[in-house]
Amino acid sequence: MAFAALAVFVAALPAFISDVKAQQFAYVGIYLIALLGLNILTGYTGQISLGHGAFMAIGGYTTVILMVGNEQFGGSITGGVRDVWTIPAAGLVAGLVGLAFGLPALRLSGLYLALATFAVAVAMPSAIKRFDSFTGGGTGVNLFGKPELTGGLTGVDLLGRHLSFNLWLYYLCWSIALVAFAVAWLVLRGRTGRAFRAVRDSETAAISSGISLARYKTLAFGISAAYAGVAGSLFAIANTYVNPDTFPVLLSIELLIGIVVGGLGRLSGLVFGAYVIAFFRLYWAQGEDLGSLLPHRVIEETHKPGGPAIVYGVFLILLMFVLPSGVAGLFRSIGAALTRRR
Amino acid sequence: MRKPAVIVLAAAVLAALAALPGALASSSARSSDPGITSTTILLGGTAPLTGPAAAYASVARGAKAYFDYVNSKGGVAHRKIQYKYLDDGYNPALTVQDVRQLVEQDKVFSIFNTLGTEVNLSVRDYLNANKVPQLFAASGATTFGRDTAQYPWTIGFQPSYQAEGFLLGQFLAKTKKKGKVAVLFQNDDYGKDLLGGLKRGLQRSKVKVVAAQPYDVTAADVSSQVAKLKASGANVFAIFATPKFAIQAYVFAGRLGWRPAVINNAVSAASNIMVLASEGGKNKTVNGTVALNFLKDPSDVRWKKDPGMKLYRSIMARFAKGANVADVYHVYGMAVAYETVSLFKRMGANPTRAGLIAKARSMNDPSNPFLLPGVAVKTGPGDGFPIQQGQLQRWTNGHWVPFGGIWTSKKL
Repeated sequence: MAFAALAVFVAALPAFISDVKAQQFAYVGIYLIALLGLNILTGYTGQISLGHGAFMAIGGYTTVILMVGNEQFGGSITGGVRDVWTIPAAGLVAGLVGLAFGLPALRLSGLYLALATFAVAVAMPSAIKRFDSFTGGGTGVNLFGKPELTGGLTGVDLLGRHLSFNLWLYYLCWSIALVAFAVAWLVLRGRTGRAFRAVRDSETAAISSGISLARYKTLAFGISAAYAGVAGSLFAIANTYVNPDTFPVLLSIELLIGIVVGGLGRLSGLVFGAYVIAFFRLYWAQGEDLGSLLPHRVIEETHKPGGPAIVYGVFLILLMFVLPSGVAGLFRSIGAALTRRR
Repeated sequence: MRKPAVIVLAAAVLAALAALPGALASSSARSSDPGITSTTILLGGTAPLTGPAAAYASVARGAKAYFDYVNSKGGVAHRKIQYKYLDDGYNPALTVQDVRQLVEQDKVFSIFNTLGTEVNLSVRDYLNANKVPQLFAASGATTFGRDTAQYPWTIGFQPSYQAEGFLLGQFLAKTKKKGKVAVLFQNDDYGKDLLGGLKRGLQRSKVKVVAAQPYDVTAADVSSQVAKLKASGANVFAIFATPKFAIQAYVFAGRLGWRPAVINNAVSAASNIMVLASEGGKNKTVNGTVALNFLKDPSDVRWKKDPGMKLYRSIMARFAKGANVADVYHVYGMAVAYETVSLFKRMGANPTRAGLIAKARSMNDPSNPFLLPGVAVKTGPGDGFPIQQGQLQRWTNGHWVPFGGIWTSKKL
C-alpha cells in the first residue's frame, strides 16, 4: 500500500512541475538510492560509513569509462556501451569493491570504522587524479553530446511518448529508485534483515543466536556499496560530466546527514532525506526564489560568501532539535496519534 | 492502516515543497532570443560563494555592482542588465544543475562570468550544443581561448595560464641565472597549464625545475608539499595555487625558515591575499615576490586619483555595501562587466545571442578603466584570448611595485 502510494506520487509528479524541476527531482531519486543502501549498512546493521561518496564515485566512473572509454587519456578501454547498460555494471563493480572493503572492516567497529571509511572518501578524489591515464584526471570526462548518452539534445521516445532529456532522467532515476526501494524492503523484512538488526543491537547476542558476523557485515557492505554504485552511475548520466571533485568528501557526509534526517533504520523517511540533500543547496544558492517567504535581509546574507553553508548548518541544528529521530520518527508519532484517536 | 497515511502525508509535504519556488518563478516575455525583453537583459552564472574557492565570490559581486551602477544610469539602450548568480561551491556537479536551471527555467540570454576551470568545462558542451553564449568564462585555461573552432559559443577573459607561466619562466631565465625552481601547483588543468608554460619559458636557459608538488583543491592544507619543496634545495619557489593554498604556502615556508625568491600566480596575487600571507609583516618569505598583474589594485596608492578607480570606489560604496573595497577580485568583476556593457552597446537595439558572441570575437578596447594602462582587451580572427598583456610587479614593503613595461604574450 505504502509503496504503491509512493509509486503513484512519483508517476504523477511531472504533471505538476516544470521540466527543469523534474530534472532536479531526478537527483532526489538518485540520492534516495544511495540513502537506501547506506541505511541498510548504518541504520539496520549499525556500521557507520562516512565513505559512501567514494562508492558513488566508483559507480560513476565505471559508467563513464564504459561509455566513452579511456583511450583518449592513454588507457586501453574502448568504451561504446550505451548508458543504461552501464548501470548494472556500475552496481556490480561498486558492490564487489564494497564486499572487499567489508572484510577488513570486520576488524573495526564504531568510530574506528567511521574513520576508516572516511579515509576512503578523502583519498578517492586524489586517487582518481593519480591514475589519470585510466580516469581522465582532474579535467574530468564530458558525456553531453556523446552517442552513448540517451537523450541529450533530442530527448527520448519511449512507449509512444516523447520525453525531454530532463523527463527521461526523471523516469529513469525514479524507476530504478522504486525498484531499489522494493528490493531493500524485501531484503530487510526477511531473515537477512533480522540478522542485520541483530548485529546492530548486540553483536554478542547475534553470535550466540548463530548469526555469522563476518557474513552479514560483509553482505551489508556489499549491498550498500552496490546501491551507492548504481546511484553514482545515475549521477554521472544525469550530470553528463564527472571529475574527481563531483564526488567530494562532503558528498559522503551529506549522505550520512540524509539518513539521519530521514530516520535511521527506517525506510519511509528516506525520501525526505534525499530531498534535503538534492534541494537544500539549490534553494539557498538561489535565495530569491524564496524571496517572498523570507525577509530581504536574510536573503542578502545568504548571497554573501559563506552564507549558504551557515544557513544549511542552522537548518540542520534546528531540524535535529525538532525531529531527533528524523522524519520517519515524525511519521511514526503522527501515525501513533491517529491510531490513538481511533 | 498506519503506513499509507504516513506516505500520503509525505507526498503532500513533498508536493508542497516542490510547488513553492515553482509558483514564485516568473517567465519573461518572448523575443527573438530568450532572456531579453524591451526593458531587461538577463545574464546568469555561477560563483563559488562557499567551498575551497570562496575567495572568488567577489568576482560575481563586483560585476553585479557594476551592472547595478549602469542600470541606475538608465541601462544599455533602455534595457536594465540583470545578473543572476548561483552558488556552486566550486563543485562542477552543482554547476551543471545551476546552469541547466539558468538556461532552461530562468531562460537567461547568456551564461556569464562563471568561475573555475573545471566548472566551465563541465557545461561547455551543453552550452555550445544549445547555442547559449558562455561569455567571459573566468578561467585562464588555454583551451577556452584556443579551441574556438570546436566551441564557438565559449570565450574566456583573463590571460591564459600558459602565457602567464611562460612569461614568469622568461623572467626567471633572465634574472636568476643559477635558479633551481620548486613548484607548488593545483592538480588540475589550471595548475598544469601554468607549470607547462613555466617550463617552456625556461627552455634554453640554465634554470631548472628541480621539484614540482601537486595538491588537490579539496585538500586541507599544503604543508607536506611545501616541506618537500624546501628539501629539494631549490632557491626559487613558484606558487601556482588558489588564494587559500597560496597563503598557506607562504605561511608554511615562513615557519620552515625557507627564504627562496618567490613567484606567485596572478589569481592569488591580490594585495589583500599578500597582506594575509605576510602575517602582519612577520613572514619575510613574502617580501620580493614577483607576480604578473593586469588589474588596477585598489590598495595601490598610484590609483588614488585615477578616474577608473574613483569610479570603482564610488560603485562599491553605493552598490556593494559592506564588501571589502581592497579586494581586487571586485575590480576583476567590474572589468568583465564593463566589457559586457560595451558589447551590448555595440549591438544596438536588437541584441541576439549570435550577435553577442560575434561582437565578443571582435573586441578592441584599449582603455578598460579597471585594467592597467596599456593593457588592451582585444580579440579577432584566430585570437580567442581577450587579455594577453600584463605587467610584472614586486611585493615591496607591504605593497606591489611594478617594474618593466607591459608584456605582451606572443602566439603560444
